[in-house]
Amino acid sequence: MGSEKVNGAIGQTSKDKELLVLSNVSLSISGLEILKDISLVVGEGETVGIIGPNGSGKTTLFNCLSGFHLASKGSLSFRGENITSLKPSDRARRGIGRVFQSPGIFREMTVLENMVTAIEGRYPLFRTFVPWANIHSSIKGEAMSLLREVTLESKALHKAASLSGGQLRLLEIVRALGFGAELLLLDEPTAGVSPKMKEQVSTLIERLRSMGKTIIAIEHDIEFIQLFCERIVVLDSGRVVMDGSPSEIRKSSQLQEIYFGGAREPRV
Amino acid sequence: MDYLYHLGVLFCIYVILAQGFNLVFGIAGLFNLAHVATYAIGAYTTALLAVELEVGFFQCIIASSLMAGLLALIIGGISLRLATDYFAIGSLAFSAVVSALLINWRSLTRGVLGIPGIPRPELLGIDFNQLSNFLWLSAIITLLALSSFWLICNSSFARSLKALAQSEHAAQTLGRDVARYRTWAFFISSLYAGLAGALFSYYLNYVDPSSFSLAEMVLVLTIVVVGRPGSFLGVCLSTFVLVVLLPEGLRFVPLEASVLGPLRQFLNALLLLVLIFINRARLFPTQRAV
Repeated sequence: MGSEKVNGAIGQTSKDKELLVLSNVSLSISGLEILKDISLVVGEGETVGIIGPNGSGKTTLFNCLSGFHLASKGSLSFRGENITSLKPSDRARRGIGRVFQSPGIFREMTVLENMVTAIEGRYPLFRTFVPWANIHSSIKGEAMSLLREVTLESKALHKAASLSGGQLRLLEIVRALGFGAELLLLDEPTAGVSPKMKEQVSTLIERLRSMGKTIIAIEHDIEFIQLFCERIVVLDSGRVVMDGSPSEIRKSSQLQEIYFGGAREPRV
Repeated sequence: MDYLYHLGVLFCIYVILAQGFNLVFGIAGLFNLAHVATYAIGAYTTALLAVELEVGFFQCIIASSLMAGLLALIIGGISLRLATDYFAIGSLAFSAVVSALLINWRSLTRGVLGIPGIPRPELLGIDFNQLSNFLWLSAIITLLALSSFWLICNSSFARSLKALAQSEHAAQTLGRDVARYRTWAFFISSLYAGLAGALFSYYLNYVDPSSFSLAEMVLVLTIVVVGRPGSFLGVCLSTFVLVVLLPEGLRFVPLEASVLGPLRQFLNALLLLVLIFINRARLFPTQRAV
């Protein structure tokens, strides 16, 4: 199947400033090529949705972006710096945040400790050993103010494991924000989330957009994703096959073929 | 009275040793079975330096801690690359290597004969050959060690280790480098083990390989599991119960001394098994895939 750019060149951003650039990235695991020659440019402040059938390589692409898998071929750059061979922690330090499909929460910690752990990551390690440094109270203050934004301040002293699926999502997103992520990789942020919480997740994503954060989200619900994404990239069998605005992608006949072999109307 | 002093010194040695293990196992979640091996390295370093080279007390305890830490860096460099289960096996293998060296490198360690005549120090005109004085010295060192450990427990470093233990991938996306943090945890915990080993050498005036057997590792593991892994006060309390109260309680059981020793080890092991069974999900959490 060939690639289709509904408006302009495939993989290109309409934004002035490039933040993330993937050049001919391929990834093989145990001899199986999962990602094939992916080229993608994401501009600063852009919100990109990634859709595609199961097994199309969406999560693997995120693993490749966040450093859990290293690209077998091609290169990745972030803010103009080559990050192809960097470890996940080094990529995170450069501003790439990740929210996992299955929430990556520190369950035995309280909600506040989860936030504090994230914010502390921004500071040099030795400073937090110094008991007289007032770093602790400022970190706690910042953590509480972020929790307030997602109405989790009343849960601050509860164990993170006691939160609902939606609250875990909110905590994970706001935690990445606390660490200072500039690019947020959201892997199915509404999976297993109640309709009410879905609305809250959507509001938070809108808030992130207004803060100028760059977002790449994997999502199966195209109705939901078009609420906040200005651009949608469609993956199939490890390739970028479509790239365009949500309305253009919805109208495309190729999307039906990808999901249903062209037999019926897509219900993504 | 001397027996009470003896229990007091034992408590000091074991609480330092157990808190070191608490850092690496209770907080960082690394099932390090080489902890007693680093304790042995600390004890032998002091024995050799004090007997052969007549090095002073403080130099000996610093050298012992650093030697144990250095060893941890070597083990860590090799085995921390392994996944947690394989790390446990690697550390156990390393422990066996240290045991074999202590027994077979006779020109250095005198093998099973051990190293006798480790002189207790005399500092500021105080003779630490007197048990009560040695208890005071041990108590001060323990207090300093525990204070530093308490600071570590409440630091960002400890929170990062806990985060890595609970969700390695999530912690990495918050900038935590797995290898770096775990190597530091391993190094710091071994400093404590080395310090405990140095105190042990000075206290007994003698070291031999039998003091650093697998049974000793089981005792340290039991102390941490009973005290709740990661809990500073819990581990202090469980050290008191398992090193002071339990042996004392067993003295009143009308059994031969030859039976009481193995019975104590059996009770420790039984307690450990029951607690591991009850808390298995918490003690050995499964890391989710990304």
